[in-house]
Amino acid sequence: MPLIELKNVSVRYGEIEALRGVSLSVEAGEVVTLLGGNGAGKSTTLRAISGLTKPASGEILFEGKSLAGLGPEEIVRMGIAHVPEGRRVFPGLTAHENIMLGASNRSGVSKTQIDQEADAMFDLFSDIRPFQHVLGWTLSGGQQQMVAVARGLMAKPKLLLLDEPSLGLAPVIVSKVFEIIKEIRRRGTTVLLVEQNARMGLSVADRGYVLETGRLVVTGKPDELWNNEDVRAAYLGGHARAAAKA
Amino acid sequence: MDIVFQLLFQGIGIGSVYALVALGFVLIFRATNVVNFAQGEFSMVAAFLMVIFSVDLEWPYWISFLLSLGGMAIYGALFNLGVYFPLRHRTYLPVIISTIGASILVSNSTLALYGPQPQVLQPLLDFPGFNIGTVYLDAQYLLIIGVTVVLVAFQYWFFEHTLLGKKLQATSQDKEMASLLGIPVATMIMLTFVYSAMIGGLAGIMVAPILFVSIHMGGTIALKAFAATIIGGFGDVAGAIIGGLALGVIETFGAAYVSVPYKDGFAFLVLVAFLVFRPQGIFGERVAEKA
Repeated sequence: MPLIELKNVSVRYGEIEALRGVSLSVEAGEVVTLLGGNGAGKSTTLRAISGLTKPASGEILFEGKSLAGLGPEEIVRMGIAHVPEGRRVFPGLTAHENIMLGASNRSGVSKTQIDQEADAMFDLFSDIRPFQHVLGWTLSGGQQQMVAVARGLMAKPKLLLLDEPSLGLAPVIVSKVFEIIKEIRRRGTTVLLVEQNARMGLSVADRGYVLETGRLVVTGKPDELWNNEDVRAAYLGGHARAAAKA
Repeated sequence: MDIVFQLLFQGIGIGSVYALVALGFVLIFRATNVVNFAQGEFSMVAAFLMVIFSVDLEWPYWISFLLSLGGMAIYGALFNLGVYFPLRHRTYLPVIISTIGASILVSNSTLALYGPQPQVLQPLLDFPGFNIGTVYLDAQYLLIIGVTVVLVAFQYWFFEHTLLGKKLQATSQDKEMASLLGIPVATMIMLTFVYSAMIGGLAGIMVAPILFVSIHMGGTIALKAFAATIIGGFGDVAGAIIGGLALGVIETFGAAYVSVPYKDGFAFLVLVAFLVFRPQGIFGERVAEKA
């Protein structure tokens, strides 16, 4: 049984059909990346899983149980943490406080324990340790991204949804963020990663899916996708970057 | 010189009431992004509850006091459920209209029940006050200042040092993200309304023996508190307190040295001056969103 399974999921925003009958699955322990250009429906897929957006049709199963009718607060309590696009760090709280609040989905954990766990997060995210008592809005984009991922991990999720962790970051910071994703993977957390940067996404993934205007077009192992001409053609980002790197 | 201290004392006393109501304003504004135009009625309803329990039913003062505060907690919860909750997914405009409607409904229901005559409420404390030198310290003003200090200290501790306080702050900063983390957003907003109604009510009960208890007291207090939040910097907790105190002092001195009939006018003079020259208030916008 897959950890998460989408069966023929469609999502509409008014007249626009953002997802059209998408079916995909992630097995426990896997890192799966969801690739595609702007407006392909990558973020919408994550929003549908975490309950921010209600699917118009189709079914989403987590550990075999349907998520239909559940809101984000209930879904995160089941063990799905969503680190959304744009990082969404609470601007008026410190980095440390932001990270502590990541444990809000777990019941019966004392404040002292949450405090200690948040402290321990700075071992993995050592770059932001000096900034732990700084307000969220004063952090740089890369620092905010690390706070957002650390906050997601505090939920002790069975499934971590990461939406464009590389967006707007300097290349050196992007590689740091992906080092952390590799470490998360090594620790055994299942990850569904949305990326525009195909090269980075595929570098950490076991499998990938490619979305185009709300539809899944191809799926496969990272090297298969990377060498697939259709995939390169499907979105310029990967193609242009691949050409630039060559 | 003594007259200056005397006026300062009274100004801070009445300013504390504005500060408490302003605090309630700011907390609801931060949690819901909407100005609650029925904020002043929190104070009025609490004062009338006191009249019902201690004057009409002749129950002991402290029991009436506790019952009134408890009543305000329930009132705040019902207010949230009836006025805000059904419109929570709409824009701010329907919610604002809903709070204005609630304000009119509550004042006019009170008018229907009690008529237009102001009611009199005895002070909380038995002794009137005492002198330090030639400055007379009225017990009711001392009580108001003392309670305000304790409440502000409590609130600071609560928001800065408890996890629940942090969750309330997170809810006010980004509701969608808060719900993604598993913070029960609806409950957080409910708690905000309950607390806001209770501090507004407390201010109303404490100021009632100084003003009269009437259906108009809510409107007056709310306008002053609103001016206080503008002066302090809208949405800023410390600003609401400083703004409230400043307003109380300014209008007391204005009444003493310039004109008593224009006492209420000074608040709005200051308000207009701030809107023209420093619209972000004393403290400005401390939290800016990064692009």
